[in-house]
Amino acid sequence: MKTEEVDRRWTTDHPELGTGPLLIEPCTSEKYFEQERERIFRRVWLNVGRIERVPQAGDYFVKDLVVARTSLIVVRGRDGAIRAFHNMCAHRGNKLAWDEGGQVRRFTCKFHGWSFDLAGKLVGVPDENQFFDFDKREHGLAPVATELWNGFIFINLDPQPKETLKEFLGELGELVNGYPFDQLSASHFSYAVEVKVNWKVAMDAFQEGYHAPFVHKESLAYTLKSKENPLLHPITVQLYRRHHMLSLYGGNPQYRQTPVEKLAHRFGPSIRPQEVSFDLPGVNPARSPDWYHDVDVIFPNINMGPRRGTYRTIHFWPLAVDRTRIELSHYFPRAESPGQRFSREFARCLHRDAIMQDLGTLEQTQSVLASGAMSHFVLSNQEVCVRHFHKVVQDYAGSYESFCAPGRKQPEVSHA
Amino acid sequence: MPSRLLPSQFKQLDPFVESWALASETARLQRRFVSTIEDLKAFYEAILPQMDAIIAYLNQFSLEKMPDEARRLFYLCLSLAEVAPAVELFKQPRVPDGFDVNRIIPIEDKSDFGAAQA
Repeated sequence: MKTEEVDRRWTTDHPELGTGPLLIEPCTSEKYFEQERERIFRRVWLNVGRIERVPQAGDYFVKDLVVARTSLIVVRGRDGAIRAFHNMCAHRGNKLAWDEGGQVRRFTCKFHGWSFDLAGKLVGVPDENQFFDFDKREHGLAPVATELWNGFIFINLDPQPKETLKEFLGELGELVNGYPFDQLSASHFSYAVEVKVNWKVAMDAFQEGYHAPFVHKESLAYTLKSKENPLLHPITVQLYRRHHMLSLYGGNPQYRQTPVEKLAHRFGPSIRPQEVSFDLPGVNPARSPDWYHDVDVIFPNINMGPRRGTYRTIHFWPLAVDRTRIELSHYFPRAESPGQRFSREFARCLHRDAIMQDLGTLEQTQSVLASGAMSHFVLSNQEVCVRHFHKVVQDYAGSYESFCAPGRKQPEVSHA
Repeated sequence: MPSRLLPSQFKQLDPFVESWALASETARLQRRFVSTIEDLKAFYEAILPQMDAIIAYLNQFSLEKMPDEARRLFYLCLSLAEVAPAVELFKQPRVPDGFDVNRIIPIEDKSDFGAAQA
């Protein structure tokens, strides 16, 4: 069977996705963004950090969730449990913690001195007897549902989440279970950047390999592509109910490492292809010898990249219809020696520069998307994860077709 | 300025200390951007042949406890990692068509990436 016939099945095996083009307007529409805010970000499980940020009782961090118009306090209690609360004093609504995080015995509001313990219970009210019919037990912090998966802290802003985190993560969660997150998360470098782009356009730039030979032509592509696979078709694509994953190809047999890369890899893991990872759990489900790394996309806003010895996460946090805060974290075991630390620095710089290439396209795209010159994106079989992602967005936030004005002239839908 | 910048066996790299023995990623990146590709190549070509000996020397110390001379040498290694993509891949200091790196905010630098910069 010809290659083209084989891998077009990523799309055609899922007839519910169709093969037609994708409406652009939901990537520029404030009204659709409001639907996403209410129907996605206030309802689904969202990852706000990892457990390493709160190792001891009283350790906390603050996570501002602009898209949900709130801020959260995530804190480890005396009982060891990690809890999340709306970061809002139960008196007159002042934001309780203004910093990024730290260590506390209790949270005290800067406005009138109300204080709350690590479980969110109101424990101190100055001049308490001036209040009327007042019972402190009725004025704790507003809790937010919190669950853990492989050390990742997820929250759900729905007061009554419709499903558990395990149910939400479903088959992708089961596939990735077993990847050694606990051994790889001791140290990390993180970056945040605010980009003038719709969050879906940003997500899409990281969930296909089609761009790599072009966007990453100097940095990564020549290490990955081979005569057999010059356009970097993925090894496998797996679509689940909400999430999906793809295994990226990195099987170039001619590739020779650059001098500094070779040196760095004597002391630590790489962001380039390494030895074949048949034995590494949670990745490379096809068990391909040409495996580079997996891209696990957890709906709605996480792109996870597990490799041998290191993994990265990218979170896409909408700020407005055309502004997104992108958070990149690259995790490693703790460096034990200066040589290992040098190796980490090489990976950090190369990864950061490659991500700069990815981010380069985003604002350029958004800057012309609202021109009206195009009504639809055209998607190839290689971009099936983009297609699937937008299908899931619509499952939650509403059909693009019915949202966009009726009577508008639509381009012809191709039938492959 | 101390009498010995680097351990004596690596003193031929002393001229690079002022520009490249920098403790933070931000400082190393800025140095890369204000340099010409010729500057970057000169540093790269001077330190690369020494790297086996440098790492062997540095690995006798822990990351937390390094004499000042060794720490300056260690920072030169981190700068080599910073200039490597420019010299080996991009052939220019900046990422071609890349996003403005100055808009990126390093966050949560509390892990060993930060400790080694103390």
